[in-house]
Amino acid sequence: MDYQFVDSFRKPQVQHNWFLDLNPLSKLNIIIILAIIPILSHSWQVSVAVITFYFVLAVASNRLKQFSKVYVRLALLIGSLLFIMRAMFIPGEDTLMKIGFITITQEGVDHGARFASLVVAICGALVFYSVATQARDLMLALEKKGVPHTATYVILSSLQSIIDLGRMSKIIMESQKARGIETEGKAMNRIKAFFPILGPLFLGAISNSEEKAIAMDARAFYAPEKNTHLRELRPVPMSEKLILVIVNLAFIAFIVWRVIG
Amino acid sequence: MNCITLKDVSYKYPYTEDFVLANINYQFEKGKFYGIIGPNGSGKTTFCNLLRGMIPHFFHGDLSGDVLIEGQDVRDWNSDLLSTKIGYIFQNPFTQISGIKETVFEEIALGLENLGVEKEELIERVVEVVKLLKLEKLIKKNPNNLSGGQKQRVAFASIIAMNSDILVIDEPTSQLDPESTDEIFKIINLLKEQGKTIFLVEHKIDLIAEYADEVIVLNQGQIARSGLTADVLSDLSLLQMGVTLPQATLLSYDLQKIDKAIDTISITKSQVKDQIMKRVGV
Repeated sequence: MDYQFVDSFRKPQVQHNWFLDLNPLSKLNIIIILAIIPILSHSWQVSVAVITFYFVLAVASNRLKQFSKVYVRLALLIGSLLFIMRAMFIPGEDTLMKIGFITITQEGVDHGARFASLVVAICGALVFYSVATQARDLMLALEKKGVPHTATYVILSSLQSIIDLGRMSKIIMESQKARGIETEGKAMNRIKAFFPILGPLFLGAISNSEEKAIAMDARAFYAPEKNTHLRELRPVPMSEKLILVIVNLAFIAFIVWRVIG
Repeated sequence: MNCITLKDVSYKYPYTEDFVLANINYQFEKGKFYGIIGPNGSGKTTFCNLLRGMIPHFFHGDLSGDVLIEGQDVRDWNSDLLSTKIGYIFQNPFTQISGIKETVFEEIALGLENLGVEKEELIERVVEVVKLLKLEKLIKKNPNNLSGGQKQRVAFASIIAMNSDILVIDEPTSQLDPESTDEIFKIINLLKEQGKTIFLVEHKIDLIAEYADEVIVLNQGQIARSGLTADVLSDLSLLQMGVTLPQATLLSYDLQKIDKAIDTISITKSQVKDQIMKRVGV
């Protein structure tokens, strides 16, 4: 028996990193502010600054690899798609280029850059939060704030269901393959093989959810007693509360400045 | 003292024509180990759902007769309280894992968290159950990534950690190898010795013969035979219902055919062995 592991539940779960060890709701507070700033600023430069700040935070919280792996791909895909679409179809007076019936204008390029950087910055908030916070810690923090555990269970189990569905679809595809059905090669072959599995996949998931409900009932999920928790979050220190107050005041000041300015 | 009493109980699932259980009468005593056997489709799992109070609280359908749990009609029980009173381990280990815990240790603790057990006691109880089921090597693993047999043992551990007075166990060894199966049966027997009432559905009839106090044979939704394990499992007519008898019973009958080689029919290996040793004078 690994008693060190068992003893780890006797104290708050910490990762010895100043950002990662912030309360999940404090992190959420900061991230939401970071996501809203580019929306209010209407400037691509601010969006880029916020995106850069995510990378700085990722380095500081030792999550650069996980963050970059997802974010760079997502940013390139969404950012370039939005930029191209806006740049090509937003009308303007200052024409930069004409390709057939498409006229690319300076206004379109500016709008595209602003909009794409804004969306990429918002995506960055989501991606960074997901790599810097474990969903179970967020749910635990929410439960401590009075959110019913049925609600947090639904969220956590929905996240797990996505993984389970992916795993199950692979199993069904493998069994289809074993029966001689072509599941690889041309896109059309893959589509033909994939669509028929959706029925059994989702019906199976619905049927499993009934058994899951019984299983949770067997674990006294609806027992009238007040829940206790094996995992424990670090109590929020005064310094963290102070940081939050400063960040929130600065944000309010920014809003006031935007409104007045 | 009776813990569960069934009086003229019949049940059919919603939107179905036929009764899955019909005219069931039985008085189950506290602290006994009941083996529930029967061919496939005989209503064993529905019987478990009835004993656990899932019928009528979860599966509505058409329930007639009286189901008394500790003297109180099941319909009057608060279903939330029933979950603390009667532990239920069911067939499919894949859906018994909560899916929200990242280690086996936390998975086993989930039921205790729901019961509001204080942390120190909770940790001690989980450690105790982990040792009992020899799950030490699994405690740090993600329960979602375990094999069927491992999930089954974790699901079993999760329920026995909750320390319910009554345990309804539906085929707990379907995914297990013979060695793990023997271990599970020893643990079930240990729970019985601790005074718990056990209802066990199991196809491994030799083990039922070894451990159960009484056996109930279900066939087409009715109790076809019931009584002391030795009496029920020595009844050859069970073979006609598609119920397998213990190997020891069959061997006993075969030996009796040979000039009455043994005096009585035995249902366990050790009993047959004793009889043979006695006969050969060892």
